[in-house]
Amino acid sequence: MQLPERMTIPAEVMARQVGEEVVILDLASGNYFGLDPVGARIWRLLTEGKLPTEIRDILLEEYDVSHEQLEQDIGRLINELSAKGLLKLD
Amino acid sequence: MSGPTGARTAPRLTEHGEREQEPVAQPAFHRWVFADGTLWALFFRQGPDYLVRFPQLADFEVASDGVNVNVWPVAGVSPATLQHLYLNQVLPLALSRQGKLVLHASAVDLGAHCVAFVGPSGRGKSTLATSFATTGARFLTDDGLQLEWCGNRLMVLPSHPSVRLWEDSQTALIAPGAAVAPPVDYTPKTRFLADGALAFCDEARVLHSLFFLGSRDVSTVHIERMKGASALLELVRSSFLLDIDEREMLALHFDEISLIANLPIHYHLDYPRRFDELPLVRQAILAHVKEGMD
Repeated sequence: MQLPERMTIPAEVMARQVGEEVVILDLASGNYFGLDPVGARIWRLLTEGKLPTEIRDILLEEYDVSHEQLEQDIGRLINELSAKGLLKLD
Repeated sequence: MSGPTGARTAPRLTEHGEREQEPVAQPAFHRWVFADGTLWALFFRQGPDYLVRFPQLADFEVASDGVNVNVWPVAGVSPATLQHLYLNQVLPLALSRQGKLVLHASAVDLGAHCVAFVGPSGRGKSTLATSFATTGARFLTDDGLQLEWCGNRLMVLPSHPSVRLWEDSQTALIAPGAAVAPPVDYTPKTRFLADGALAFCDEARVLHSLFFLGSRDVSTVHIERMKGASALLELVRSSFLLDIDEREMLALHFDEISLIANLPIHYHLDYPRRFDELPLVRQAILAHVKEGMD
């Protein structure tokens, strides 16, 4: 799976860390979305301005997972968040 | 964060004469519908303010700052019905406009701390609170639970000193001759007023645990710690919010419940739905609270 080059978080999206997880609120729709600890780590890296490929490289160091699997997982999460309007492809 | 003893503006209710419910030009931005499909309430914007319409019962106008509420009853609707609608439905919504956090929850004082039972209608909030308040504990509210920070302590504020019960809970829990409020036009529930046998706590109490009431029919009591994210989403579902489309208020509410969700106080509670098992349910909850304090 090809990771997008750059993503941004829309201004109307806010997120809060709860324990190891993150809950995202889309103020435009009033919808909430929960992320598990791995999803939460990806979200935090996105908020730090990391590119999807940089996130992949950081997580490869942190988790025992193959390059392909991780790329697929990150891509799937990005697609899901984009479809819900919680991320924008630049 | 404000303290529970600090200045608060209790919403002011002004009652007007009977009035027909005229059609409203703009469509409702929100509605409450019962599980059987019956329309319960419609929400309209009126400039910066709100109109909350209970069809065939009353129109409530709530100021955008939640300080003033005006009500116009439909012809023949009793004062008791208006009070019931106001206390249970409109007051929590008005408080939400003041930035207060109000949940669909009951609460009981167990001594040094209190516990709250969160859940939608029919899940057992009032029955559990009454079960405690008739056996040595005191209730703070049977619904519309208001939370407020006092320093780093999360407090439960007392609300109206009464509980509303369906007939089966009345028979099982309330002694004959208990004081009741006049009947209302839209529900067979009876409102019992606090007295010696139904003890009420009129002071704010530190919240020890929030129990989210499950719907499973189980044979024994199950108490399970909830993850913060699940608790947060449940708190969202259980909150009174008059205008879920207003971003500033929604963001404020999200911040507030995120703080609460990060506290280690959230549990999922499933229990047998039989009145004769209530002593065991109380016992399990008391043991759980004691364990947490040891």
